[in-house]
Amino acid sequence: MHGSDFAWAVAFAVPYATVFCAFVVYPVGYALWMAGRPSLYADLIADRLYLSTVVNTLVFVGLGVNIKMFLALLLSGFFLRPRGWIRILLAIYILPWALAAVQTCISFHWMLIGEQGLVDGLLSALFGIDGPLWFNNRWLGLGSNVIAYIWKWMPFWTLIFLAARMTIPRVIYDAAEVDGATGPGSFVHVTFPLLANLYLICTLLSTLWTLGDFTTVYLVSGGGPAGATEVLATLGFRYAFDASKPALGVAAVMSGLPVLIPIVLLLMRRLHTSELQL
Amino acid sequence: MTTLSRRSVLRTSLGAAAAGTLVRPYIANAAATTAVVWWTQGSAEEEDISFKKIVAEYEKASGNTIDYSITPYAPLRQKIVSAVTSGVVPDLFQNTPAEIIALYAWQDKLVDVSDVVETQREEYTETALLTVRCYNNVEKKRSIYGVPYTVGASMNHIWRPLVEKAGYQMSDIPKTWDAFYDFFKEVQKKLRAQGMRNVYGLGFQLATIGGDSNLRANDFLIAYGGQDIVTKNGKLHLDDPKVRKAAIEMLTYPTTAYKEGYVPPGAINWNDFDDNNAFHAKQIVMDIEASLSTEVAIIKNRQDYNDIVVMGLALSNDGKPVPAQQGSLCGLIPKGAKNVEVAKDFLKYLIQPRVLNGLLKTGLGRNLPAMPAIVKNDPWWLDPKDPHRAAYVHQGLFGPTVPPFWTSNPAYAQVQNEHVWQTAWSEIIQDRATPQAAAEKAFQRVEEIFAKYPIAQG
Repeated sequence: MHGSDFAWAVAFAVPYATVFCAFVVYPVGYALWMAGRPSLYADLIADRLYLSTVVNTLVFVGLGVNIKMFLALLLSGFFLRPRGWIRILLAIYILPWALAAVQTCISFHWMLIGEQGLVDGLLSALFGIDGPLWFNNRWLGLGSNVIAYIWKWMPFWTLIFLAARMTIPRVIYDAAEVDGATGPGSFVHVTFPLLANLYLICTLLSTLWTLGDFTTVYLVSGGGPAGATEVLATLGFRYAFDASKPALGVAAVMSGLPVLIPIVLLLMRRLHTSELQL
Repeated sequence: MTTLSRRSVLRTSLGAAAAGTLVRPYIANAAATTAVVWWTQGSAEEEDISFKKIVAEYEKASGNTIDYSITPYAPLRQKIVSAVTSGVVPDLFQNTPAEIIALYAWQDKLVDVSDVVETQREEYTETALLTVRCYNNVEKKRSIYGVPYTVGASMNHIWRPLVEKAGYQMSDIPKTWDAFYDFFKEVQKKLRAQGMRNVYGLGFQLATIGGDSNLRANDFLIAYGGQDIVTKNGKLHLDDPKVRKAAIEMLTYPTTAYKEGYVPPGAINWNDFDDNNAFHAKQIVMDIEASLSTEVAIIKNRQDYNDIVVMGLALSNDGKPVPAQQGSLCGLIPKGAKNVEVAKDFLKYLIQPRVLNGLLKTGLGRNLPAMPAIVKNDPWWLDPKDPHRAAYVHQGLFGPTVPPFWTSNPAYAQVQNEHVWQTAWSEIIQDRATPQAAAEKAFQRVEEIFAKYPIAQG
């Protein structure tokens, strides 16, 4: 490139490079700088909450993402059926996703808030029994977070899989039917193989997003009882703003990088090497 | 159409840069009389209206501009931490949460405001002045880093109709600490016997989050004789058997009440306003709160407002008055603020007794002025027609008070931020640890934290 071509190239590249530096390089660099002291990680390990938080994060992401994606895949088949009432049901089904996360998660919190919540209130009114204290027990609290997360995000992935299913040519199913693959057989031998790559990429992407999910845990269980259901994102927030230790907060979130980076690399590899399957 | 050349791109860029350089001084000049102020949202709308009114009056009187934003407590806390960490700070913010004055003073991140406080020094309570006199670890000395304007102290808030429904009178409530709270266990039993199966006697905050649970731990610690856990010179006294005994009792009473079913099960997850909500819902017969926020929030519902009785802290178990920790709301000027003089000038205006009285009265008296003369000179504060204000004044201003422990050493602010005592509560309640075992663990953590905050003596 010479002369005015080069100038044009620079003119187009500079705004992008500026935005990239301002909103990607600088924040990430700043975070790495903040979390760079090895003593921070020693403090993390010494904290009574950190290791249980790592376990919680793995359980929350592992269960939440996989159950959500699998159910979304199954439900996408149901919503593919050309019936009027199913379309209406689909519109209702996507409401939790369409609404702001704050509203949906707080609704969930209020439903389960214990003696004042809708679920336990109904149990008390209908059966005269005291329901469980959902947020007073680590595993009930963590389970509530996982269910709220699935409830919130499954509609989105159902729509993705629904769209993907709609692109599969009907003739492939017809041919499979001739070979004897009907009902579950057509799902196993036609649908799933064709959607496998998309399913994997969506799962990896969802894992990345969920590792950084703050809203669900913060608003549903609040990390309680006594921090027993914290995940890395919420623990980092507590360190930064409740304990006034911002560097430790960033370090807590950064400690998820050894899991995040391989997922990003795997995702990039899948995106670059896979052939289009649909 | 103009052809874009390398030279024209460079020329345009240089032109834009030059224009930016020329424009900047005007912005700076314009900002010279403007202070950026971050203020905490009140419990009632009237508090915010009151602040806006004071700002308008100040702007008219001074010609300066106050560029303020009013933010709820928790988000403001996050804004302050982010601002101080990044160095891009406003000119003035409130101590949200209260203990940040001690932590930021230690780190030399606050401007010394002794000159502002000096303008009204004679008016302040001694405790209010102690609350803002913090240690700077860079300069190795104490100075005044906040301008106090309100104070607050823990009070008991009680539903009179529930006590009466249980068959008691308010005058039946015992005067000493444990007996006082034991009384509400009996109230709960009587109410439950009448079919109120979801009512609880005691509204103790037992969570490992928020600020109120720290205040409750301190209330109980002082009541049991642990007031000297940190002395004025900043030294920790966990080696004092009296303090250790008080700390163990502070861990024992609330957790035993919880395990026995006299505190709502959700209290281990309550954030700062959840006890207020439980109280308003009449889930709890009594609550402890360090302001009149519980009452002010429902002031338009006169029936409920009048049904609540506010009482000062009970006497200690051996019959002596228990000093209330007098928390203080104050204005802080961070280092790096661009318009320190305007911020100071605004604070000097705000703490004039006439102005301050107007601010707090319009705000319905949720907090007390940090100056006793204000309440002595204005009968509104002790008006017997209001069922709560006078009791609050007597406890918070005229009763015995002490400053928070973190004014002596910011290590205690870190103890509170980490919720060390509340973690011990959780271990007793959830992990079935004995109070002694939980206390030993907590003592160790407190000592570790204090080791990081050595204060030069002398």
